[in-house]
Amino acid sequence: MSEARSPQGCPECDGHLGFEAGETVCTDCGLVVSEYRIDHGPEWRSFADDDRNPARTGAPLTRSRHDRGLSTEIGRSTRIKGRKRRQFARMRRQHNRARISTKRERNQVYAFTEIRRVTSALSLPNHIRDQACSLFESAQNEDLLRGRSLEGFAAACVYAACRVAGVSRSVEEVCDVSKATESEHQAAYGALNRDLGLPVAPADPTEYLPRFATKLGLDSDTERRAREYVADARDEGLVGGKNPCGVAAACLYTAARDRGEDCTQAEAADVADVTPVTLRKTYVALRE
Amino acid sequence: MNRQARREVSRKYFSEERLAEHHFRSFNAFLERGMMDVVEEKATIETDIGDKEGEEPVYVELGGVRVETPRVREADGSEELLFPQEARLRNITYSAPVFMEMSIVRGGEEEEEVVVDTAETKVGRMPIMVGSSKCNIAELSDEDLVEIGEDPVDPGGYFIVNGSERVLMTSEDLAPNKILAEYDTKYGDEIQVAKTFSQRRGYRALVLCERNREGLLEVSFPSVSGSVNFVTLVRALGLESDEEIVHRVSDDPEIVKFMLENLEEAEVQTQEQAIEALGKRVAGGQGKNYQLKRANYVIDRYLLPHLHEEGAEEEEVRMNKAYYLCRMAEACFELALQRRDSDDKDHYANKRLKVSGDLMKDLFRTALNKLARDVKYQLERANMRNRNLTVNTVVRSDVLTERLEHPIATGNWVGGRSGVSQLVDRTDYMGVLSHLRRLRSPLSRSQPHFEARDLHATQWGRICPSETPEGPNCGLVKNFAQAMELSQNVEDEQSLKRELASMGVEGIPGIDSVDATPADD
Repeated sequence: MSEARSPQGCPECDGHLGFEAGETVCTDCGLVVSEYRIDHGPEWRSFADDDRNPARTGAPLTRSRHDRGLSTEIGRSTRIKGRKRRQFARMRRQHNRARISTKRERNQVYAFTEIRRVTSALSLPNHIRDQACSLFESAQNEDLLRGRSLEGFAAACVYAACRVAGVSRSVEEVCDVSKATESEHQAAYGALNRDLGLPVAPADPTEYLPRFATKLGLDSDTERRAREYVADARDEGLVGGKNPCGVAAACLYTAARDRGEDCTQAEAADVADVTPVTLRKTYVALRE
Repeated sequence: MNRQARREVSRKYFSEERLAEHHFRSFNAFLERGMMDVVEEKATIETDIGDKEGEEPVYVELGGVRVETPRVREADGSEELLFPQEARLRNITYSAPVFMEMSIVRGGEEEEEVVVDTAETKVGRMPIMVGSSKCNIAELSDEDLVEIGEDPVDPGGYFIVNGSERVLMTSEDLAPNKILAEYDTKYGDEIQVAKTFSQRRGYRALVLCERNREGLLEVSFPSVSGSVNFVTLVRALGLESDEEIVHRVSDDPEIVKFMLENLEEAEVQTQEQAIEALGKRVAGGQGKNYQLKRANYVIDRYLLPHLHEEGAEEEEVRMNKAYYLCRMAEACFELALQRRDSDDKDHYANKRLKVSGDLMKDLFRTALNKLARDVKYQLERANMRNRNLTVNTVVRSDVLTERLEHPIATGNWVGGRSGVSQLVDRTDYMGVLSHLRRLRSPLSRSQPHFEARDLHATQWGRICPSETPEGPNCGLVKNFAQAMELSQNVEDEQSLKRELASMGVEGIPGIDSVDATPADD
């Protein structure tokens, strides 16, 4: 292969090499230098369905499966009968057993299904899911899982992936749809953050604004106004040390008050999973 | 009526968005009743928890389903109403969240049943037909439609999946649950066959009743290889005496003669013997008890499933199956005696159209089964790892979504049909209208099928006599006639049956009546 790639001449006569139909041939003496080479020419395939469909063979590789989506499955057919069918059933069973070879892989399969489930429950986009899965894999490589729960790690990976991507979800939201308890999540996230050095800054309250705004049924003008309040609060140093969810809710509440929209402190606090007291603190500070 | 008046009527007729009406009606019926029906069929998800000693069984009860209107969830978590034009431009799916009530119940055998957790949870997203009752633009005025970038004269009736508009092709199938008598040849001899595609809840079974060259009747149905003697089967169903069998088939002297030949050759005399004989056929080489169990299971499950009735006595259902088989036998004999002609498969009375709602129902059924299997797996997993069982943590909403979207996006439907969904033909406006009103015969286009391609007299007023493609699809792809009205099946079969019973039809299982006679299809 390396021979074919390097722009050398013919090993016999130093003649010019030509590439044709997968063969490397010397154009001067006719020596076939290499027979097997990947043909980089256009593939012989028609895009029957529509030309926007770039699918070639099967699904692309994905990080969200333990085998990168390159699995083989023994299918079922109604056409084969009797002995052959039983043979295939046995093969299928053995194949399914052999598919997962190590404990590590088994854990990965379980955690990845859990991550898929949590991300779909939170309606997160696919890239976050993939990132959460690769985070889990790194955690496994660093041997962080020992003594901590898989469910906790699955939840923590989703939470961390969201934080890193700047679409924060609160711990409560993640734990609500996850099989993990909050303490399991906390332990796992702590380990992830410490040992993998996640590039996470404290969550910006603005990340929460669009979500809370739609939950409260506030329009985009109010949301924009709340965004300004968050900026103000940051300038005044009101954000540091406070729960960003609470700050976001308070800013939204303040903006809604300004625009005369219907929104109570209790509602806003409820959406953000904070107490009205937390909200009120920021609200009062903002008013000053 | 003169030309002017006809034009007036035609105009009025099409002024009220009737062009894709059949799609809307079908899909709306699916949203209103069809989905709930499918969930009620399923009713519970059983798990293997409780198979071990000292463990209480767990199962999930499925409750009401609720579909919202289409909306989109952004990455930042905000959720907004989605309009078709946005779905087209952003290459996303015009689909609405589906919620279902689920409760996890523990106990049952020794302990009392305890509801562990009950919640209404999002189970997935359902692609919504543009213009249907759940569509966001359903009630908008023309001005509002223009405002949101929608074409006011667009007929709707299609889905938007990943930004491409897909229309579900209406398919023309042979009517299920009907006896069709016809000639066939076997080993060079002409024989008579009565066929029934028995269909119930997405399960389809072909039952054949043949009169072979010796004049003996044989029945074949799924799960039995080859065929079973007619008399054996009828006796297994509980129709024992010679007299009654003959009487149920026909009183015609010549048919009686044929029937007596059959009875003479009968291998068994009583119901017990018959079930034993059947057991040997369905589970040959197995233990005696298992053979009997299997035989009973097969006749209750796989033989003529459409005669099953919720809440009806097993005996009654079996008797009804026996009567139905007798009707099939009669059809065979009448054909042999040339008392009747073979049934015309191309007659439109023997056709049923599967419109988008019916297709979506098939899809939703398999999707729900897949979801149920996933929930079962998740529950068992969670239980094994000693987690609390909550509804929210065992439902994976992408399972259902994927199962619903993928067939619409690719056209590969459940049951191995392909090309069910097609990209809406936007060549011009008429192209769209024609495409929405097109229907396809499932017959292979590579075979001649001359009769099926011919224009049949019963297509009058239903199918356009001239619009069909040239080439291999000629006569297999058809288009609706202008003023065609598509009727739908009855909403409530029970009330229909009750009505029939009150009008004097006897022997409908599940409905009290004096004497039992077979209910026609």
